[in-house]
Amino acid sequence: MTEYQYIGKPAQRVDALEKVMGKAKYVGDMTLPGMLYGRTLRSDLPHARIKKLDVSPALKVPGVVAVITSEDFTDHGVFGFPISDLYMLAYEKVRYVGEGIATVAAETPEAAIEGVKAIVCELEPLPVLLDMDHALDPDAPQVGPTRSDGKHPNFLGHYPVYKGNPEELLKECDVVVDQRYETVMQEHAYIETEGGLAIPTAEGGVVVYLSCQSPFIPRGHICRVLSLPEGKVRVIVPPVGGSFGGKDDLNYQTGGQVAALALKTGRPVRITFSREESILASYKRGAMRMHIRLGADKDGTLRACQFKSTYDSGAYSSQSPFTSWRASIHAMGAYRYDACTVDINTVYTNQGYAGAYRGFGNTEVCSGIEQAIDEMAEALNMDPIDFRLKNCLRVGDVTPHGQKLTESVGLTDCLLAVRKMSDWDRKRKEFAAQSATDKRRGIGVAALFHGTSLGAEGIDEATGTIEIHDDNLVTLTSGLTDYGTGSRTVYTLIAAEVLGIDPGRIRIHRPDTNTAIDSGPTVASRATMLGGNATKVAALNLLQILDWAAADLLHCDLHQLHRVGEKYVGPSEEPVPWEAVVEHAREMGLVLSAHGKWSAPKIQWDEEHGTGVPYFAYHFGAQVAEVVVDLKTGATDVVGFWAVHDSGKVIFPQGAYGQLYGGISHGLGYALYEDLDFQDGYPQSINFDQYLIPTSVDMPEIQAGFVEALYSQGPYGAKNIAEPAMVPTAPTILNAIANATGRRIRKLPANLERVMLGRVLNKKGSPVSCKVALKIS
Amino acid sequence: MSKYEYAIAQTIDDAVRLLNEPGKRNVVLAGGTDIFVALRVNPLWFDRLVDVGRVPEMRQIREDAGLVSIGAAVNFTQAVESPILQKRAPFLVEACKTIGGPAIRNCGTFGGNVANAAACADSLPALVCLETVAHLRSAKGERRIRVEELVTAPHETQIEPGELITHFTFAVPPQDARSCFIKIGRRKAQSISRLSIAVIGNLDRNGKIETVRICPGAAVATPVRFRNVEQMLTGQKPSKELFASAGDQLVAEMIKSTGQRWSTPYKEVALKAIAERALSNIFLQDGSLC
Repeated sequence: MTEYQYIGKPAQRVDALEKVMGKAKYVGDMTLPGMLYGRTLRSDLPHARIKKLDVSPALKVPGVVAVITSEDFTDHGVFGFPISDLYMLAYEKVRYVGEGIATVAAETPEAAIEGVKAIVCELEPLPVLLDMDHALDPDAPQVGPTRSDGKHPNFLGHYPVYKGNPEELLKECDVVVDQRYETVMQEHAYIETEGGLAIPTAEGGVVVYLSCQSPFIPRGHICRVLSLPEGKVRVIVPPVGGSFGGKDDLNYQTGGQVAALALKTGRPVRITFSREESILASYKRGAMRMHIRLGADKDGTLRACQFKSTYDSGAYSSQSPFTSWRASIHAMGAYRYDACTVDINTVYTNQGYAGAYRGFGNTEVCSGIEQAIDEMAEALNMDPIDFRLKNCLRVGDVTPHGQKLTESVGLTDCLLAVRKMSDWDRKRKEFAAQSATDKRRGIGVAALFHGTSLGAEGIDEATGTIEIHDDNLVTLTSGLTDYGTGSRTVYTLIAAEVLGIDPGRIRIHRPDTNTAIDSGPTVASRATMLGGNATKVAALNLLQILDWAAADLLHCDLHQLHRVGEKYVGPSEEPVPWEAVVEHAREMGLVLSAHGKWSAPKIQWDEEHGTGVPYFAYHFGAQVAEVVVDLKTGATDVVGFWAVHDSGKVIFPQGAYGQLYGGISHGLGYALYEDLDFQDGYPQSINFDQYLIPTSVDMPEIQAGFVEALYSQGPYGAKNIAEPAMVPTAPTILNAIANATGRRIRKLPANLERVMLGRVLNKKGSPVSCKVALKIS
Repeated sequence: MSKYEYAIAQTIDDAVRLLNEPGKRNVVLAGGTDIFVALRVNPLWFDRLVDVGRVPEMRQIREDAGLVSIGAAVNFTQAVESPILQKRAPFLVEACKTIGGPAIRNCGTFGGNVANAAACADSLPALVCLETVAHLRSAKGERRIRVEELVTAPHETQIEPGELITHFTFAVPPQDARSCFIKIGRRKAQSISRLSIAVIGNLDRNGKIETVRICPGAAVATPVRFRNVEQMLTGQKPSKELFASAGDQLVAEMIKSTGQRWSTPYKEVALKAIAERALSNIFLQDGSLC
């Protein structure tokens, strides 16, 4: 095994001190002289036509300086990718409760709220579409845009994977599992709410500080909706207080709104959301209804999978076409099948809207398929880990998509390690023999695979830059954002490893569209592989320059150079410090900066036939949960948790463990508490008193480990960790609950009522708290 | 943002004077954990907050001549750390531990919990079981009223405008009394009570139940003792069967009081379970649950 100096070694996050000391400045911490405060009027109806919108009364409110509507944008501010159906502010219609209609800029936040209240906005209610199962009914209210291909306007897309004919094969199988599973909407719950600050420039452009993931995307949107050339719009990403997929489309609207208001008023304009506004306006993880049929032989060989589901995108498409596609690729789990089909239909409704959220479709399907796999193991009377080991993907296997896996498939090792670590076999036996009727123990497992990076979603490349300054400080840029994931530390360690210098010499800039180079979106857990490789290439290019200088300084050939620590050593002279080499390079007139670009291996997907190579590599992992379930109160206590993931080479161990722990807490909330319940189109929990996420005392001790099945194309063999950390957690806990109680909960979350009664008790919904919040916050 | 006045009271007399200053709607502020949350969503319902959180006499826990006294501005962290309460009313301490998280417990007070009178208030069931008396002061003088009677409906009390709860008292329970508090929340902290129960009691020399007081929380409109169930248990020999039927009766009385609500199918099972557990814990086991 290669011995590294910095890769895989303990390191401090580059932004640790500024964050723990409260010095990091988020958008909400920024104020400028003359800055105006923005507030947005939002819809209090789930579906309505904007009959009248008169902003002139708002302009008479003391302190109000300007108001914008869709009229202030080119083409009414339409944007969105891959489907352009969203507006910077609502145009003609509103399609969900919380949708922005007009934005006021005022001298104070209070005046901005008064301005919002003064706007005359008459909404004519339209029939509301609440149930995804009825979205494609011929008489369903039209939510989606009118289409020219004759398809139902509420139809967003169909995402298939096709291998053979499971319908036929299921008839031959000894055992068939046929079940339905359901997930509900989940709120991202980032600590920092949405926000943006725009500053007009002397040239008639704007600089926008925006809490977001991918600054080049909002730059593009702002250019289009305000008819500005790229040179006049600069987007800078300050520290971001969490995102988890949540700071795309909605906060691009914020960016567009502050930019338009800054241009209109000639003054800086800032918007920051209250928590209620954040939960009301923002997109969620979408709800999914799954019907899964699995077939296996008596000896435990999985043979057939038929997966059909409907995914609710809500009012807008946002990322749902990509989410649904990723869901389809992962719907059958990390297993071999003789025949496997997946059909996911994605539809529009008026239940808020769904977009990107950690796991991006895989979290949803994994909660279904990993329960179905468990139910199959149970039907076969097989241990769930044995059953997974017998059928899981290995090197040399061909996936149901038709992709031959040639390297870096660590699932078997993950399952074996987590089995040992959790003392699985002993506990499984012991819990089967327990006689308790009140509080019962259970242990459960789930496995996952997760395609790395974008896959066949689009162009997949990244560029980094590196430079040595006059004071010998080394700086890096990346077009990819570290919104809490630790990727800046990963890049720093990679550059340090390549250059053979202390990471303390290196500073990494935050993304700025004027200095960094567009590297595609910061999504899909792609930062380590894409940005890491780009950093590595850039650093290698710079190293080559320094090596030439060192050889010249030490009067030797390149191949005669050695490194001892930072020092360069030649064949005959005293070792020279790194600084001396850098200085010599300057004297030689060499340019001490470099670019590095990395393009992912080519892949392809046939959308019609549901076959191809969807991703160039996969992350694998297995998690185990131990629970104590109180049958009399329905309370589930997760008392132990074990997770072993194949992330390839782990570059920044503390960062990787941190991602794993955080992902598991996300998954635990998804399993037990979280349900952004919409009643008649109104979310019923719009702050953290009602919307419960796990607290520190709800988290069990987690024992985690990594299997490093190196991926030859990854930087030092690395793959990824961010999203996959949470993907299998919910089914792991649900499987443990089933082991404890003998009863399955097939709809998330496993809250008190579902665990005790097997069903949820619905309190009658109310629009009141939403309506109050829209007025005051 | 709401604009209102704020005054700090130095003494109880000072507080009563401030609260009765004419021409102003005055509201008592102690820890603020209810008021500031309500302010966010409600129109302003007062002109001035009178902060009693720094009145020294209202921040004390004392025991004197068989009577325990808790100042109305005592916060829940103080309660949890109090040797007097740990010794005399361990179930009250357990209840206080379940309130919010550390930050909420550092602010929230007994006076506030009682005056706010939420059906799910965590300290009230134990206070009711202890037959705690609230001491109120106004310009007219002093009066005393049991907490159980003071709270008349969800978020409604008999506290008059201009009146201040100064402290609470309860008689030290018998040496051999055991108590228990169980709460069900949707998560382990920062969780509003879904259902709770406080029980205190003791056995006579023959091993029969001499006294027992039972008060569920978040079960009916206000925290009240279920006296029919207490009577049914008194003089009986503790047994699993006895407590099972006590649980049934408790549930029947709850439904009699509330009717069938959306949550009843859940609460009828859970209330019975926690009642049986609390009673068994006190009378059949070692009281280790609390």
